[in-house]
Amino acid sequence: MELILDGIGRTIALIFTLDREVLTVTLLSFKISGCATLASLIIGIPTGVFLALSDFPGRRLIVSVVNTGMGLPPVVVGLFVTISLWRNGPLGLLEMLYTPSAMILAQSVIAAPIVTGITIAAIQNLPSNLKLQVRAMGATKLQTIWILVRESRLPLLAAVMAGFGGVISEVGASIMVGGNIKGQTRVLTTATVMETGKGNFETAIALSLILLLLAFGVNYLLTVIQQRERPR
Amino acid sequence: MSKKPPLLQVEGMQIRRGGVQVLDLPGFSIASEEKVAVIGPNGASKSSLLLGLACLIRRECGAIIFQGKEVTAREETAFRRQIAMVFQEPLLFDTTVLDNVAEGLRIRGHGRREARETAMKCLELFKVGQLASRSAHKLSGGEAQRVSLARAFAVKPKLILMDEPFSSLDLPTRIVLTEDLGRILHESGTAALIATHDRIEALRVVDRLVVMDGGVIVQEGKPHEVIANPVNSFVAAFKRTTVPTAN
Amino acid sequence: MITKQMLTRFTTLAATLAILIWGTTVLAAPKTIILATTTSTQDSGLLDVLVPLFEKESGFVVKTISVGSGQAMKMGEKGEADVLLVHSPDAEKKFMTAGFGTTRRLVMHNDFIVVGPASDPAKVKGVSATDALKCIAQAGTIFISRGDNSGTHAKEKGLWKGVGISPEGQKWYQETGLGMGHSLNVAAEKKAYILADRATYLALKKNMALEILVEGDGKLLNIYHVLEINTKKWPKVNAAGGKAFADFMVAKKTQDIISRFGVDKFGEPLFFPDAGKKPESLGL
Repeated sequence: MELILDGIGRTIALIFTLDREVLTVTLLSFKISGCATLASLIIGIPTGVFLALSDFPGRRLIVSVVNTGMGLPPVVVGLFVTISLWRNGPLGLLEMLYTPSAMILAQSVIAAPIVTGITIAAIQNLPSNLKLQVRAMGATKLQTIWILVRESRLPLLAAVMAGFGGVISEVGASIMVGGNIKGQTRVLTTATVMETGKGNFETAIALSLILLLLAFGVNYLLTVIQQRERPR
Repeated sequence: MSKKPPLLQVEGMQIRRGGVQVLDLPGFSIASEEKVAVIGPNGASKSSLLLGLACLIRRECGAIIFQGKEVTAREETAFRRQIAMVFQEPLLFDTTVLDNVAEGLRIRGHGRREARETAMKCLELFKVGQLASRSAHKLSGGEAQRVSLARAFAVKPKLILMDEPFSSLDLPTRIVLTEDLGRILHESGTAALIATHDRIEALRVVDRLVVMDGGVIVQEGKPHEVIANPVNSFVAAFKRTTVPTAN
Repeated sequence: MITKQMLTRFTTLAATLAILIWGTTVLAAPKTIILATTTSTQDSGLLDVLVPLFEKESGFVVKTISVGSGQAMKMGEKGEADVLLVHSPDAEKKFMTAGFGTTRRLVMHNDFIVVGPASDPAKVKGVSATDALKCIAQAGTIFISRGDNSGTHAKEKGLWKGVGISPEGQKWYQETGLGMGHSLNVAAEKKAYILADRATYLALKKNMALEILVEGDGKLLNIYHVLEINTKKWPKVNAAGGKAFADFMVAKKTQDIISRFGVDKFGEPLFFPDAGKKPESLGL
């Protein structure tokens, strides 16, 4: 109990003095996970819409793959991304290993199936004739996708929260592809592991609390937006 | 009497749904400003007819000719921007009534203000102007269907396709709505093709009645002529439930 | 509403942005070196002092990847690192014989210690390293092993072999597969014995209830070398960067810093500089 109180004290101290290292680590967490969530939305929403509305042989197989991907262990993603990004690996020429870009890549791979899966469910939940009605109104394929996504905006906001929540708290893949390098790829989660390993428990607790605050803050914002959009 | 070219012409259209042929139409046409009703026992062929005409479902074969020109795959969206379709469910968007009606215009590239102004006029035409700022998901069945109609008319279509538009409403609402629809169709000079299962109010609005059975047209003609000479038991049953009309 | 014009504008903007970002990151990236090293050099805080110094002097950017010596050498074998700072002499010699490294230079040493609970149930305080292990095996008290092919793990395995005991699979022998710091935490929680390097132990001492029970034994010497990777096998390796870092580690100025590291915090240095010395002179 005393340790937790010490941790809380350290958190307040770190926040108020705007400790430079903690600030860097926090901003990096936010930036990397934010970019990854954005990328997963750009990949996931159109893919989800396509899979929800189309019909081709093998479609059900792909949807099962997506649903399995929703529960994909992040550390497995981390391993495969690391192997791909090795200098002598297939994507080695990108020279991306141990950079924030690698972390964004790994986190996007983790979040994309979540976003896609929720999008598929959301679109399939729309009235079955809605797509026909929209097309009948003269909408182009792109306009149709836009309108259907707009109609599913409430569950899609939940997808954003799920995606972001999943990656901001991820540590296994982040350590593997990022290397936990100070100032470059050290984020709140990886720093917490490191500080624990060094025995600096109050700092580890402080970082954890800051991570919780960050995650809560973002989700609070998104929830407010989502609940405001609820059908009046 | 000068023969104007038909607004919409269909040649040799066949449609299969679930492996079964549901529509076989060697020839069919609608003149501009003509109102046509399609009745028949089977829902699938009527819906397929409407969806097929709008190029919204796959057809095995057949050409659709609109205003003298064939509608190719590339021109489908442009073609659909000249017509409108209303379904049995209102299928309104999760936004205000006004923005629902304006959506068709926005799709066609109109600005928001202009679209909303036109939408408002259309809402008033259908006597639901007062619902403009209401959420579309909070309307009664009749109100929602009026909004759906307003949405269809807002884009000033040359032809409006309606798939059993009033069949989920109660009788008094249906009668009033049909009257309003008929008046507006007549005043705007819009052609219409209305599919209906067993409601005959549409017959008071249309110039031609088409009877379908098993995916083919079995009878066609002026409404009272068809009713007077039923070709099958279905039409005969219609006759007995017809509400007396002025014409 | 989405119109074709909006779409083209958006795509051009997105493409320009992507190219700008890619350009600034790739073109502006200074030459990087991947340094694969052990968790003990990282957890003790030594690299937090040395690496920024090196970066400032040389202009290189160092990516320090702290894994065990075993994994570090595997990375070297695959050309995925430019320079290694490790402490597993037998494995290093095999590495050099196989031709994976070009140079191997002595940098520093410290020593391993056997730490455990103050109650010392196996009664190992003050005995030799090998006797300690025998006592622990006999008493069956919990012993925590790194179990991760690190330098510490290699040393530990060597000691067990030396006394002819195979602890793997026995109930009191528990392998964490974690770094030094984490493994020490586990040992402290379980009131167990563990072999640790002095530097990491001192850095973590204040938070743990573990005491030094065996030290000073010649067999417990912990020697660090810096190894440059052979570019002939892996042309993508940054040879210049690796050499610069290796030279830096054995330079007099750096060696001075190493000799003073930890004195103000722990009252004793955590590492002893040895560059240029012959390995025999290390009092083995």
